[in-house]
Amino acid sequence: MKLPILPTTVIGSYSMPEWLERAKNDYLARKLSKRDLDDMHDAVRKAAIKDQESAGIDIVTDGELQRYNMIDYFTERIPGVQVDLGSKRFYYDFYDTEVRNKLGTGSLGLNDEVKFLKKYTDHPTKISVSGPHTLVKRIRNSFYKDEAEFAVDLGKALNRELKEMARNGVTELQIDEPYYSGFPEDLPWAVKAINAATEGVDAHVTLHICYGNRYGKPSFEGSYKYLFPTILDAKVHALSLEFARRGEEDIQLFKEFKAPFTLGLGVIDVKTQDIESPALVADRIRRALEVVPAERLVINPDCGCVHLPRDVAFAKLTAMVEGTRMVRSELGK
Amino acid sequence: MIVHINHISQSKKGAKKSQLGELASLVTGSLVDLVENGQLDAKVAPSLRIHLDWIQYKTNFRDPVIVRRTTDAQGKSLSLAEVAIDLRQCQPATLLQQLQEAAQQVNPNASTDNGRHYLADYKPFRDCVIWDFNRVFWRHLGDWEAASGKGFEEALPSGSSDANRPDAVKESVVEFWELLKDLETKNQLPAEIPILEIGVGAGTRAAAFIDLFQEYDAEKGTTYYDRLQFILGDYSPDTLARACASLGRHKSHIIPAPLDALNPFKTLSQYRFKVLYVHLTNVYDNLPFDDLIRRDGKLYLAEVRPYISAASVDQLQADFGIGRAELPAATAKLLDGGPHAVFPGEKGVAFWRALWGCFKLEERLRALDDREESHVPPGLTWAHLQDLLDEAPEDVRFHISRGAAESFANTLPLLHPRGYLQVQDIFVEDMDEYRKGFKGPGKLDGSLVVWVNGALLRAVGARAGYDVHFRPFAYRPGSKTTVMYTTQKP
Repeated sequence: MKLPILPTTVIGSYSMPEWLERAKNDYLARKLSKRDLDDMHDAVRKAAIKDQESAGIDIVTDGELQRYNMIDYFTERIPGVQVDLGSKRFYYDFYDTEVRNKLGTGSLGLNDEVKFLKKYTDHPTKISVSGPHTLVKRIRNSFYKDEAEFAVDLGKALNRELKEMARNGVTELQIDEPYYSGFPEDLPWAVKAINAATEGVDAHVTLHICYGNRYGKPSFEGSYKYLFPTILDAKVHALSLEFARRGEEDIQLFKEFKAPFTLGLGVIDVKTQDIESPALVADRIRRALEVVPAERLVINPDCGCVHLPRDVAFAKLTAMVEGTRMVRSELGK
Repeated sequence: MIVHINHISQSKKGAKKSQLGELASLVTGSLVDLVENGQLDAKVAPSLRIHLDWIQYKTNFRDPVIVRRTTDAQGKSLSLAEVAIDLRQCQPATLLQQLQEAAQQVNPNASTDNGRHYLADYKPFRDCVIWDFNRVFWRHLGDWEAASGKGFEEALPSGSSDANRPDAVKESVVEFWELLKDLETKNQLPAEIPILEIGVGAGTRAAAFIDLFQEYDAEKGTTYYDRLQFILGDYSPDTLARACASLGRHKSHIIPAPLDALNPFKTLSQYRFKVLYVHLTNVYDNLPFDDLIRRDGKLYLAEVRPYISAASVDQLQADFGIGRAELPAATAKLLDGGPHAVFPGEKGVAFWRALWGCFKLEERLRALDDREESHVPPGLTWAHLQDLLDEAPEDVRFHISRGAAESFANTLPLLHPRGYLQVQDIFVEDMDEYRKGFKGPGKLDGSLVVWVNGALLRAVGARAGYDVHFRPFAYRPGSKTTVMYTTQKP
């Protein structure tokens, strides 16, 4: 499927039903079998794909509803990370994790997500992974000499996986780094770790940098000014940034620093249940077009929809698509 | 028959022996006598529960001995019954008589009327007319204070509010300044620095905070005061005006915000994720609640029926010329229009004070239907209450602090990612504490107070991404106040 101008996508996650939260907690408490939970996961992932297709999203994900959160899904899979499986009762909390040896080289098993997506949709597909900087901040380091060295090894572990997913036909890969905004001083080594992750990956790669979305609220505040110029060294095709909640002032940074990236423009505020109008979405896109050409714009929400009720998430995505179509028609596309 | 001793506390009176032990012995001895004499129905006795309480409030909503019957979800009587005895009010000379009366009333077919005038039918605490009285109190505070001759803070059990302790305010100032300094160091200090206080009283604490903050800011050579926006939130425009007047010297930093404490976000949504510090003192303990009771694995909701005793009705007739027939209309006038709608001038306030003075509550326990969720506070689900029950003792009566939970949940979205909420109040920090003493409601001079279920707020906070902590209020020896504060969950 050929992508239109101003393609629409989601960041990754889709609305997490409350009943599924309870089921995940029940699984942790050994009240539910893995088989039953897996069945539930498959059902909600298919529903998430269907909702995105129905809303008119061009590049879809599986909603990431099988993941506990953006950390544990990866720490459980990365060879060499010790996970204390008894350290949480609520699924969304983080496990206590530690690295005591050099990371191994085994598969993370993420390719199953590509297979699942290809089985249930004809749309272009996207898989998001948590970035090395974010993972470093959540894993106790008892082996590497510093965070920078640890992050590069995590980048290499992700690299093997990203390459495999690209080989298996995923359209878009995304690396999520919400912790940059809380630790701007880390950026020089964090970008090196990203480059370790993306080296030789034959797919369109987006780096998503927001201000956090844990429990549906920001973890940090500030301006994207801290990204520049260091971020220009990142070997990625696109930057996906949060603007709907924070205002669009920082888009000018793309112009000021002649950033060569495609911009994933956040036009939907996922931290409120107020539903944007298509006209508001269109306005936001038009203002971005004053800085970034249409060929380098992708339209997406500020972050994942995981904390929104399903009806709200669906309505927001629908408004996003309608607003985007309004601008496409103005562009004669 | 099970006897619950609900007052688990060491005497602070040293060698001076209290009467509690003797009274408790008298209760159990009398109960055995009542069974032997056939005055307590042998069919009822095995499922009867006796609760020995010690209610620390000088005035309260209970008679010394009360009977709580149980009903099913439809109101049909069940066999379980409770007799609750306030050992503080009890006198040995009258206890036996009171227990005999209670023994008669536990029978499902017995009348409990005793010539009482009922102000309303049974309702959960959240819907009880006590909240109408409470609203009248805060609306006509000045009238009450003038009549009582003392401010409402002096009328508190402690004789003063812990909100205004200078050392506590100073520590808050230092803590807050350090947060700002850290943000500035990281180049993350916002251009505007909003603070919110909900429930401002006379503005005394706000004034103390801003004065000290200005002083500390100058002492440290920073200019944070210039960016300060102090939002005063209160539902009473009169209270806000009074507080603002007391803060004239900081006028350009003050933002009065008439708001409902249950939903600050509704009024202040423009401050979403911006407020760096929210403070409340003794607001949560004056918001609607419910009581849940678990007995033998079943859940019951406490329902209360407000009444005036026959003797008090006669007294009101003698003092104000308002007899039994006129009492409903006079009460409605009071609650709708305030004391002067009943009588002009001081007489209206005197009637109000007298009515509140003799206002009491009967209780019954209604079994909860499995599908009923009306007692679940907004923003929470049944699953959250189940979490609380999982950590609670098998036999327990506890508050669902629905007003506090709703207010808390609707305040958190205002917080900046580094912001925090601090509440000075009386909290029950874990569910087991409910078995160790009486946690309200207590009747105050004109209003009421109820301890806040901190475990419930912990559950609300966890869902919203906050850890909730408690620390003792260390600034007044013997204070029952606890400081609750939030930190962002990792």
